[in-house]
Amino acid sequence: MSQIRLPETNENGYYEIRLESIGGLGANLCGKLLGELGAVYLGLNSASFSSYGSEKRGSPVKAFIRWCGEDEEIRINSPVENPHILGLFHEAMAGKQPVMAGVTEYTKVIVNTDSTPDEMREKLKLHAGELYCVDALKIAMEAKSRINMVMLGAIAKASGFIPMEAIEQIIRDTVGKKYPQLLECNLLGARLGYESAWGKAYRDDGKYEAVPYEETKNRWGYENAPIGGVNPRFGSTVSNDLSASREGYIPLFIQERCINCGLCDTTCPDMVFQFKPGEYKGKAAMVNAGLDYHHCKGCLRCVEVCPTNALVAGLEREHPDKQWFVRNKDLIVDRLEFEDAGANSWVTSESYLDERRIEGGVV
Amino acid sequence: MKEQKVLFESGNELAAYAAKQINYHVMGYYPITPSTQIAESLDAMKAEGRHDISLIAAEGEHSAAGICYGASAGGGRVFNATSANGLLYALEQLPVQSGTRFPMVLNVACRTVSGPLSIKGDHSDIMYTLNTGWIILFADTPQAVYDMNICALKIAEAVKLPVIVAFDGFFTSHQKRRCQVFAQDEDVREFLGSYDAEYSALDLEHPVTIGSYMNEPDLLNNKYQLHLAMEQAKQEIPKVFNEYAAISGRSIHEAEGYRNEDAEILLFVLGSSFHTAKAAADRMRERGVKAGVITSHLLRPFPKEALYALCANAKTIMAADRQDSYGAGGGNMTLELKAMLQEHGNTSRVLSRIYGLGGRDFYVDEAVEMLEECLKKDSSTFDYFGIYPGDSSLEIQQYFAPVSEEKSSPGLTTAAVDPSGRAVVKGGRVNETTAMPKRLAPGHGACPGCGIPVNVNLLLRGIEGNVVLLFQTGCGMVVTTGYPKTAFKVPYVHNLFQNGAATLAGLVEMCAQRQKRGELAEGDITFIMVSGDGGMDIGMGSAIGTALRNNHLILLEYDNGGYMNTGYQLSYSTPMGAKSSTSHVGENQYGKQFFHKDTPQIMAATNIPYVATVAESNPTDFIKKAAKAKAYAKQSGMAYLKALSACPLNWGDKPNKERGVIGAAVDCCYFPLYEVENGITTISYDPEARNKKIPVADWFALMGRTKHMTKDAYRDIMEAIQEETDRRWARLKARAKDPLL
Repeated sequence: MSQIRLPETNENGYYEIRLESIGGLGANLCGKLLGELGAVYLGLNSASFSSYGSEKRGSPVKAFIRWCGEDEEIRINSPVENPHILGLFHEAMAGKQPVMAGVTEYTKVIVNTDSTPDEMREKLKLHAGELYCVDALKIAMEAKSRINMVMLGAIAKASGFIPMEAIEQIIRDTVGKKYPQLLECNLLGARLGYESAWGKAYRDDGKYEAVPYEETKNRWGYENAPIGGVNPRFGSTVSNDLSASREGYIPLFIQERCINCGLCDTTCPDMVFQFKPGEYKGKAAMVNAGLDYHHCKGCLRCVEVCPTNALVAGLEREHPDKQWFVRNKDLIVDRLEFEDAGANSWVTSESYLDERRIEGGVV
Repeated sequence: MKEQKVLFESGNELAAYAAKQINYHVMGYYPITPSTQIAESLDAMKAEGRHDISLIAAEGEHSAAGICYGASAGGGRVFNATSANGLLYALEQLPVQSGTRFPMVLNVACRTVSGPLSIKGDHSDIMYTLNTGWIILFADTPQAVYDMNICALKIAEAVKLPVIVAFDGFFTSHQKRRCQVFAQDEDVREFLGSYDAEYSALDLEHPVTIGSYMNEPDLLNNKYQLHLAMEQAKQEIPKVFNEYAAISGRSIHEAEGYRNEDAEILLFVLGSSFHTAKAAADRMRERGVKAGVITSHLLRPFPKEALYALCANAKTIMAADRQDSYGAGGGNMTLELKAMLQEHGNTSRVLSRIYGLGGRDFYVDEAVEMLEECLKKDSSTFDYFGIYPGDSSLEIQQYFAPVSEEKSSPGLTTAAVDPSGRAVVKGGRVNETTAMPKRLAPGHGACPGCGIPVNVNLLLRGIEGNVVLLFQTGCGMVVTTGYPKTAFKVPYVHNLFQNGAATLAGLVEMCAQRQKRGELAEGDITFIMVSGDGGMDIGMGSAIGTALRNNHLILLEYDNGGYMNTGYQLSYSTPMGAKSSTSHVGENQYGKQFFHKDTPQIMAATNIPYVATVAESNPTDFIKKAAKAKAYAKQSGMAYLKALSACPLNWGDKPNKERGVIGAAVDCCYFPLYEVENGITTISYDPEARNKKIPVADWFALMGRTKHMTKDAYRDIMEAIQEETDRRWARLKARAKDPLL
């Protein structure tokens, strides 16, 4: 076990890491490995935990790691506010979630992206800090490893003090022991992450504003919230925009092929399809007018059941034109302010999910 | 000192690790967040053959407590873990355990008590146990969870009382920390020694009666004995802590202080907050304020002397409670502290704040603020901390018009019970019924590809007119009603999943009564309860009671074969062999060990007018059966529908393939489509007759959770599953042939 001296600590004496991801990319496991890395391989005192209650596929997750000297106490149990390292596992979260909250000019931000740091700075609206980019998805696919392994390597590189040997050792001892057949791939993924992460430092040049860390507050409080937690805003989830839950694919609708059978509407869990009274083959019929993509989570169930290929899978980034969005037909408001949201849940156990992801190979 | 080793684990994992080292005889449990990982972790170790504990997943916490009680009456070592409403559901059993003096250890990962339902941590659950006669230890770190779990059993056996090890849900249960454990399990067992139960129901040479019928004057004496045991515990606990320190090098104290000796102001908190508060005391000290912090590691017996020794010199004490004893002017720790000070004739000022309910984080700045309150002359004695009034300019914006009876009655699917007593359906066509207004709004938080909204929508599509919904606790409820939003466009009620059917029955009766008294307009409302298969485990009694009363309502069960919202623990409907987080696959275990529950047949045995199985792979059949259920619920009583519901997250398959996976379950006759109308069985879809019947293994191969069962190593079990599936199918066919069956 090597004895590492932390290059810097905050006012409470900790070196802090925050990982931002969506469920399914393995950020939780990555956080756990970083925590264990500190405790067992770097000779530090260490704590790690996740944003409890959301590890469903597509839902936003955070993982937090705190390190300090071996003989010092970890006293804080609240989330990491001003991270020394911020790992962003899913590029699409940029601008969708307050992922940049609490970033300072001393923060090292590591992003899974095929963009350059300059491009990424714009997407993130980064006011200052050191920005590292790594194409973790591509590397993971090529190395037959996983995004979290690549990110682990990239984080080590960006940190400037986490030795790559320690990363390799923990991969051998944990993931490698459980799934020996994947060990070499995962080691390669981490190494490539280390080698290919490249960064650039940005000063606070006034281009973007710093985003302070704030606890969420709802507009309902003890004076105006209906008693008993009763909710009179029926159907209000319609104002959620769930597009950040998608993993790159959307169903594309080719209306000329559609025979208006309605099967898509029976399989869609998200009530995306807008059927309206109309005419088909000269007869009155319910006609598929299209999709409200705000609520589409990209599951592609509809593509699978469509008998005429009127629905096909497309890469979301190749279809940025949102003109073919059809608004939910039942809305009675003219304007709707959408709120970015993810799938929500209470999943709070890790054991099963870890296994599934590892066996699932690329995620 | 015995050899120690370093682990990086959470409080839950360490509780499990201690249990594994102790090698308890039996653990009876029921999964509930945030304590579930304890059983999960033990199950994973069991699959690897690392302990011999018999792990029994009960169908509810009440039964889990019963299993534990029965097991402990057999003279062995018993373990359990729970939280929140699970603890309250088991509460009735706790005084039985202590009153008849059978030691055991129960871990409580503290979580707020419903309702409204929250899964996050506070101390509102554990305070209900103060009067149960259990010893209660409170751990403030994952390390303390481990240490106390070992001490707890020794204390329990010494004084013959059960012991709770409580700790903060999530903050302690889920946070991973660097900690030390005994390197050798034998050292733990040696510390504990062997357990020689005073009485045992398995001692046939000395037969005893356990659980006498006892009135006055004996009960008073009996309770005095319990009191004496608690008094004995006051001596025994420090002794065990000292012995433990000698072999582990880690001291545990009944109460603990930080910079308290000369402190004029003190903050009294329980659990993980103690450490956050220490950082605040340091900051106050930097400003020249004599501030300190105290905590208690014991709730019962309450360590009055140890705690008083820590705070005798303070002028003002701020007691911060993570729960409220509503109407008492403080949480339970405030009340205990005040009583303790009064006994010593101490008149220092005590302030009380309720903080951190429902898992709200506790920041150092907030602990500083609390200490600053102690310095003010005019601080209120009691208040809530961290509340806000809300934005008074907020107006409620409605996005939709209410779903009117007229709009939801397009006449596209209708059913009526004919004179022969059979319901006849008209319509129900997939294209036409797209015109039915959706009672659920989009934007809910179900996973991509989730089957629940698909099934709920198919059901509601076939039910025209007014509907009122009730969901029991489960994924379906969690993903639709995350405050401050809701996906429901029609009236909706949630109740905990022991009790949904009874709750809806009450609502149905109220509707009838108020209509009868002219307080509500006449007219039809279809009352529909939606439950997962987990809810049909723990809520089976309530569902059967409602069925036997034949209340006019529909019960839809979406069966995804597991407790999915808490991380996929096994339910009784999980397929045999399937892996789950409480039925791991390993050298010593192949997944779930028993056959799936045949719930439709159980419901059919209650002789309700309508029972049917439905699947999204046969949407027209589904819609028609929904309409039939409505007709029966109106005319004759209760209707029960069961849908096999896809869970891509935990089935380990692709979201887009789910309709095919459901279809395969139907085609292999694991989930046959049929209906039982007034006792007469009809098969709705016969894969055999259509030459589409496939082996169950073909369906299992489609899912990550069951794929391993197709390996050669499990051939015998797979054959048994096929045989049982065929037997149930053959019986169903026999029933369909003979109206008497």
